[in-house]
Amino acid sequence: MTTRREFIQTLGATGAALAGLSACGGGGKGSGGGGTSGQPPTPLPAAPILVVVNIDGGYDWLNVMPPNAGANLSVYQAKRATLGITDPALLTDLGSGAALNKDLTGLDQLHGLGRVAWIPGIGMPNPNLSHFTSIDLWGQGAAVPAGTGWLGRFADAAFNPAGDVLRGLTVTSDLPVMLKGSTRSFVSITGAGGYVFPAYLLSGSAVPDAATLEAGWGAALNAPSPDAATQAAAQAGKLFFDAQNNTAFGAGGSLTARTPSVPYPGDAAYPVTRLNGAALSSSLSGQFKLIAQMIAAGLPAQVYFSRLGGWDTHSNQAVDHPNLQRTLGGSIKAFYDDLASITTPSGNAQDRVMILAYSEFGRRVQENNGGTDHGTAGLSFCVGKAVKGGLYGAYPDLSNLDANGNMKFTTDFRSLYATVLDRWLGQVTAATDGLLGTSYPRLGFL
Amino acid sequence: MADLTPVSSWTPADVQHFARRAGFGLSPEEASLLQLQAPGTAIDAWIDGSGAAYDPAAFNAALGTADVVAEPLVAANTSTAGSVDVPAVPAPHAFLVEGPDAWRNSLNTAQALCLWRMQFNPYAFQERMALFWHNLFATGFHKVNNAALMLKQIQLFRSLGLGRFDDLLVAVSKDPAMGIWLDSVLNNASGSNIPNENYAREVLELYSLGADNGYNQTDITQLARALSGWSFTFAEADYIANPANPTQKTAADGRFKVYDGSAITPDTRLWSGTARTASYSMHGTGTISLFGQTLDITTTANGWAKGENALRSILSARGVNCAQFLAKRLLLHFVTPAYSAQDLSDVAAMIQAANFDLRAVMKTLLKSRYFFDPANQYALIEGPISWLVRGARALCPSLAVGGAQAPKAFPAWRLLTNNATTLDQAGMKLLDPSGPNGWKEHAAWLNSNTMRYRTKLAAALALGEARSYNGTSYPLFPAAVTTGWFPTAPTSAQGVLDRLLALLQPGPIPASVSAAWLSALWPTAFTWDATSQTKARELAFLILCSPSGQLY
Repeated sequence: MTTRREFIQTLGATGAALAGLSACGGGGKGSGGGGTSGQPPTPLPAAPILVVVNIDGGYDWLNVMPPNAGANLSVYQAKRATLGITDPALLTDLGSGAALNKDLTGLDQLHGLGRVAWIPGIGMPNPNLSHFTSIDLWGQGAAVPAGTGWLGRFADAAFNPAGDVLRGLTVTSDLPVMLKGSTRSFVSITGAGGYVFPAYLLSGSAVPDAATLEAGWGAALNAPSPDAATQAAAQAGKLFFDAQNNTAFGAGGSLTARTPSVPYPGDAAYPVTRLNGAALSSSLSGQFKLIAQMIAAGLPAQVYFSRLGGWDTHSNQAVDHPNLQRTLGGSIKAFYDDLASITTPSGNAQDRVMILAYSEFGRRVQENNGGTDHGTAGLSFCVGKAVKGGLYGAYPDLSNLDANGNMKFTTDFRSLYATVLDRWLGQVTAATDGLLGTSYPRLGFL
Repeated sequence: MADLTPVSSWTPADVQHFARRAGFGLSPEEASLLQLQAPGTAIDAWIDGSGAAYDPAAFNAALGTADVVAEPLVAANTSTAGSVDVPAVPAPHAFLVEGPDAWRNSLNTAQALCLWRMQFNPYAFQERMALFWHNLFATGFHKVNNAALMLKQIQLFRSLGLGRFDDLLVAVSKDPAMGIWLDSVLNNASGSNIPNENYAREVLELYSLGADNGYNQTDITQLARALSGWSFTFAEADYIANPANPTQKTAADGRFKVYDGSAITPDTRLWSGTARTASYSMHGTGTISLFGQTLDITTTANGWAKGENALRSILSARGVNCAQFLAKRLLLHFVTPAYSAQDLSDVAAMIQAANFDLRAVMKTLLKSRYFFDPANQYALIEGPISWLVRGARALCPSLAVGGAQAPKAFPAWRLLTNNATTLDQAGMKLLDPSGPNGWKEHAAWLNSNTMRYRTKLAAALALGEARSYNGTSYPLFPAAVTTGWFPTAPTSAQGVLDRLLALLQPGPIPASVSAAWLSALWPTAFTWDATSQTKARELAFLILCSPSGQLY
């Protein structure tokens, strides 16, 4: 267990400021961080939207943001003899001995604009290197597994259980633990069209099946039943019915059928190719497009969740990893650019959206034959116009690894959550600390 | 505590509880017949698949017809090495919904075959256990990219799923699809090479002990050394070129091999698809330290493969932890999510006492008073695949009925899986879980999206939806309301409801809900005419979609 004292010592040893971790980055004036000289951040929006991107599988961020100077570089070169990214032509210097792999397409440009806050070395005490344990802990955002997620608890506090059905959305088909609340859950919507019952049930049937069915679900949900399984089933179904009944959807449950039609321009012309030159399309860009459609349609969602899998690169990393990075970076850049063309009643979408990307862990420093095994500390980053770009928290010391050869984390992942809850989702300090179980230092990028 | 002593008698409702959990349900008539037998005798036969009720002759005959498409219907081409012939399909061929290359690495065809087997295999427990192991040893097509090897793994579960757990674990570790899935085929620990620990980690975390339960990172690394070089070769006859992509080669079968420097016979190929002429070495040598024991991974012992003793030591050195792990998975899948610590401990002790003999374990568990406890009936939320198959078994003609519909629903399954979205979005992409941890069960099966797609599947199942292929319309789930669902004509709306509840077996439905359904569907006098028969389909749909309809 890393103690609070060790945590602070780690920060001190790397020269980071103790107070709020904010002095090492932000607005291009960072002392310990890279800083950027881009445009100044815009004020926090009145109606902020958070788009979470789950980089699923534990990504090798050490090859996304490799060291390019100092003591870390020689360790990196020794342990990444074949997979290491050291060619300066492939890298954008971030300062502070770190560089950005240009395969994270477009993020160098966003960084240059001062729109990206990087948090290298983010992690948790006592990681057990399991994807699934780590995913649970990142989702729950609490040291003791509670069965609910940090955003689910936020929904419990902020959303009206009787309404607000579309205020939290995932465009994945599952419901990640991160989004599970105890009274209000998130809706899963994977397509913009036909969010309804089978169409013919609503066409010409003399029997009002949908209403009958929904009434049955509502009755089951409201029945004084002690049976947990029935309750769980009823909640899931009721949420679907409530969502598909929402007036945000047009005829046939379709966003695209609304009048006037959803003005999403979509598919920004952004050239992203695989290593072999083939065009790159990805599920992530499709998810972003759907999110943009929903924002353009005026859905009242405050939080969206998306996911890009495939990062468990134990082998074939030299080919897979650049393609994954191009997908991730290219999709984010295209999404960010597209948002500028969406006007909403609460302002321009690009002003309102912040993207938060995270993964359950990073990979081991020492490569294996062609890949990297499970590691610890990760790299999270936030993208948005209100973000003060730069590096936050200390880059891990690659010569000071744990007994398994893994990095020691420098920023607790709940510091990121606390910052986002306070300064983006508008929770008061005490509420944020309550949602996370205790108080974590805030980061200075917002 | 979990009372694991066997029940001495059972009611038809008990029989149906058993059949829902240990198979895909029974009709009320079948349940009443089975109830006449003593539970011990009946359950033994059910689990063993022995006796007249489980005669596979008709099932195998149907499997062998070209309509169903035998698996995998390919043969080596005698003149072009590496190519295969797929027989021409004789016309007319009303039920084949794909062209002659249907089996060439099609996930959807493989899924349809699995679903068809679940619907019609008289030995339902075999399919239920295969589904259980598929979730536990979850292996995904999206990385294996080989339908034949995926089906081979499922067949492994059918054939060894009731053996000893250590034998099953070893067999899975030698399975080609698993070898590709978790990088065993690339695990090179010869000399100073660092082993690829992907498979070893998941063996301990997901397949035998559970996270933080009796091992550490050193054990993972050491086990990875023991399993290095475990890969497979395949014969020319099993070499399949993908017609859609000539550079893409797959294999229909694979033989386990430890790459330890021994010569490989010239007629075999490495998985990489490259013919080998020289010996190949990936297996580490020497000794390892695992769970505090020193094991020699260079030599074979007891006829075991090199390194296999390390895999087997999981049970010998960590039997308590392994029994606990298995007990959790079995309780969550077969009994209840609400087991107590004492229940878990009791079942784990039983597993150890049975020496990890899965047949004995399952017999004890599924005969027990604990299993039949009324509190555990309808205590689980059912997964979408078994929920769908159970509905198909309840509502669709059996293999022995409906010659005009022979081969009975394979085209339906094929058309359903061809529209892959529905099954995937319902939450269980058969043969293709997203990760090695499989699908979470019980409450995790349901969210707003999976419920949305269950309503689509329920409509296909109950409302007689048809889908066209090449100009022919096929009923997705061929069902006859008058003869199949209601051999005796109902005389009231309540009679329709009662019969459908007996067929579909949802959990308890609040009286106010079913009353509302009946008054909406039959607001006036009841007549068993065509209109009422259509409404009976709609009522079946309502039951299948209801919260109670997700329980089992």
